[in-house]
Amino acid sequence: MGAKRKKSEEVGGDDEVGGGKKQILPSMIKNKEKRSAVHAKLKHQKKIEKRKKAKAREAAEKRALELGEEPPAKKIPHTIENTREFDETVCKPDDEELFAGNDADEFSSILNRKSDPKILITTCRFNSTRGPAFISELLSVIPNAHYYKRGTYDLKKIVEYAKKKDFTSLIVVHTNRREPDGLLIIGLPDGPTAHFKLSKLVLRKDVKNHGNPTSHIPELVLNNFTTRLGHRIGRMIQSLFPQAPNFGGRRVVTFHNQRDFIFFRHHRYIFESKESKQGDSKGNKDKDAKGEKSSQGKVVARLQECGPRFTLKLISLQHGTFDTKGGEYEWVHKPEMDTSRRRFFL
Amino acid sequence: MPRTSTLECPGCPPIRALTFDVLGLVKVTEARSKEGGIPKVVDRWGEPDSSKCILAASIDDRKSGPLLAIARKGGLIEILNPLNGHPCLSISNIIDNGPQPGDDAIVGLHLFKKQNLDLSSRSCTLLACTTKGNASMRSVELTSSHADSTSSVSSRTWNVCASGNILCSQVDGNENYALFGGKGVEVNVWDLEQGTKIWTAKSPPKNSLGLFTPTWFTSATFLSKDDHRKFVAGTNSHQVRLYDISAQRRPVISFDFRETPIKAVAEDQDGYTIYIGNGSGDLASVDMRTGKLLGCFLGKCSGSIRSIARHPELPVIASCGLDSYLRFWDIKTRKLLSAVCYQIIVMSNYLNLLFRSCYVVNFLC
Repeated sequence: MGAKRKKSEEVGGDDEVGGGKKQILPSMIKNKEKRSAVHAKLKHQKKIEKRKKAKAREAAEKRALELGEEPPAKKIPHTIENTREFDETVCKPDDEELFAGNDADEFSSILNRKSDPKILITTCRFNSTRGPAFISELLSVIPNAHYYKRGTYDLKKIVEYAKKKDFTSLIVVHTNRREPDGLLIIGLPDGPTAHFKLSKLVLRKDVKNHGNPTSHIPELVLNNFTTRLGHRIGRMIQSLFPQAPNFGGRRVVTFHNQRDFIFFRHHRYIFESKESKQGDSKGNKDKDAKGEKSSQGKVVARLQECGPRFTLKLISLQHGTFDTKGGEYEWVHKPEMDTSRRRFFL
Repeated sequence: MPRTSTLECPGCPPIRALTFDVLGLVKVTEARSKEGGIPKVVDRWGEPDSSKCILAASIDDRKSGPLLAIARKGGLIEILNPLNGHPCLSISNIIDNGPQPGDDAIVGLHLFKKQNLDLSSRSCTLLACTTKGNASMRSVELTSSHADSTSSVSSRTWNVCASGNILCSQVDGNENYALFGGKGVEVNVWDLEQGTKIWTAKSPPKNSLGLFTPTWFTSATFLSKDDHRKFVAGTNSHQVRLYDISAQRRPVISFDFRETPIKAVAEDQDGYTIYIGNGSGDLASVDMRTGKLLGCFLGKCSGSIRSIARHPELPVIASCGLDSYLRFWDIKTRKLLSAVCYQIIVMSNYLNLLFRSCYVVNFLC
C-alpha cells in the first residue's frame, strides 16, 4: 500500500517537473483512478492538438484559394491496403510466363470460348432451412447451372458422375447448423478444388428494394485479384460463367476482393441522364442511349441489387479434384502465415 | 506503428540451383555473394510450352563435362550441359519395343556417374522408368555435334511391375541397385548388373480394426550412399517407413506424419537423418535410427512440396513445390534462409550446387 502511494506520488511529481523530459505511459501507473485521470488528460491534449492542426490546414487552404494559388496537397491517410506488405507474387502485366501458364491451365478451354460452362450444384448430406433457398438463388445467378440432390453419394463418386455427364464445374454448398457456411468449387475434369468459407449470407428476400434478375448472361466484374493465387482463383470464378456477356441485359455480377475476403454482389443497372430537357430515358434499353449526353446533363448509373449477397474467404486450394487425404495442396492457410496484419494472399 | 512481425531472412551462402517446372523451363538460381546473398533467378533455358513439361531429371556432376538429363512429356529425353544449358543430345524414344503410348509418362530418370575412360567418344548411361513399369537402361554416345542420335551402345528394357503405376524410383550410391515403388506396387529392389529383382517389400498386416490400407508409395530414397540395404519410403497415407533388406520384408520402423501424402524424401549425408515433405507444405527432419521427429521447418510454405535437395557440403537444404517458391533452409536451426519466387508452378526440383571456384557439386532430388 505504502509503496503504491509512493509510486503514484512520484509519478505525479515527475509529470509536473519533467514535462517533456520523461513520458510516463498511463499503462505504467498501477493506481486506476490516477491512471484514468492521466489518460484522460493525454487524450484531451491530443484532441486539442488535432483540432489546432485541422484548423491550420483549413486556414491555409482558404488562404491559398483566395490568393489564387494552389492549395497545399492533401495528404493521403495510411490504410491497411495502402501499406500492404510487398508481395512478389503480384502478377505483372508483361509476364509472358503468366500467359503461357494461363494457356496451359485447366480453365483455358472455357475461357477461350472453346467449351461452355455447365455447372452442377449440390449440397452436403444434411441440408435444411437456408440451404435450399440459397441454392435456388444461385441457380438464378449462374447461367446453365443444374441442381441435383445429394442423397448419400460419396463426393468422389459425384465427381466421376459429373465428368461423365460433361459438366465443367461442381459446386457443393456446405451447411452447418442450418446455415450455409462453406462452398467447394471443383473444376472438372481434373481441375483444382477451392474450398471457401461462406459468411454474411443475405438472401434476396431480405435485401431492401431488391430487384428480380433476368436470365441474360451477366457481365462479370472481378476486382483486386492481384497475386498469382488471386489470379488463379479469379480465373476459376470466371470459368463458372459463360464468356459472352449480354450487355443489353444490364446485369452484373461482382466478385470484389479486399483483404482476402471476396464479396459477392449481383446488381441490375441502368444508365440515366440526369437532366430534364431530354426525353424520358428511364425505360430505354438501347445501348446508344447510354452514351448519349446532352449538353446539360450527365449520365449516371443506377444500381438495383438483386440476388444474394455473401462473402467468401479461401481456405485451401487443392491441385486435383476433391481428395482431402491423398491430395496435394497448392495453397493452404496455415496460422504461421498470419504474423503480419498487412499481409494478404489473394 | 504498424504491427508486423516479419522474419528477416539471412541470406544464403553462395549456391546455385537448377529447377524444372511444368512449362518445360529450366531455371538457374544463384546466390552470388559470399555471405548474406539473396538468390535470384539468373538464367532460364527453354521456352514456355506446356506440352514439353519436364517430368524427371538427373545430373552427373563430373568436373570435366558435367551432364544434365531431363525427361519431358511425350517421352523425349534431353541431355544438356548444366553450366550453360546447351543441349548435347536428345533421345526421342527410350523404350525400344513398341511405340510409346501417350499416357506412359517417364517418372524416374537417372544418369550414371561411372566414368568412361575413352575420351574420344563419350557415352553416358541412362536409366529411365515409366509409370507402367517399363524400365530401360541405355548407353548412348555423345558426339560433339548436337545430333538427334539414337544410336546406342547397349540397351536393356525390362518390366518392373506387372500392374499398378510406378511413382518413385531411385538408384543407390554405388549405382548397382535400383528401387521402384508406386501405387499398387510394393517397393522392390533390383540388381542392375544382372537385371534381377532381389527383394520385394511386404505390406504391414491389417491393423486392429481389420482394415488394410492399399499400397501406395509416393516417394523413396536410399538412406546412405554406401549402403543399398536400407531405404526410406513415404506413402500416400502419410506414413514414413524404413525398410532393411537384410532384416525382413516388412518395414522395420514406420511412423505417421501429419495428414497428407508424403511427397518428397531426401537423405542427409550422415546416413540416418532424412527430410520429408508432404502434400500440404510441411517440411520436417527425422532421425531414422529411432523414428523420432527432430523438428519441422516453419516458413510459410503453403503448397505441396514436390522435392527436396540437400547441399553436399553446406548445411543447407532447398525445397520447392506447388506454391511456386524455391526455399533455402538452414539444417541446424531449421530456419528459412531465403525464398525465391518463381512465376509458375514448379513441378520438380533438381538442384545442382556450384561454388565460386567452378567446382561443380551435385545434389539431386
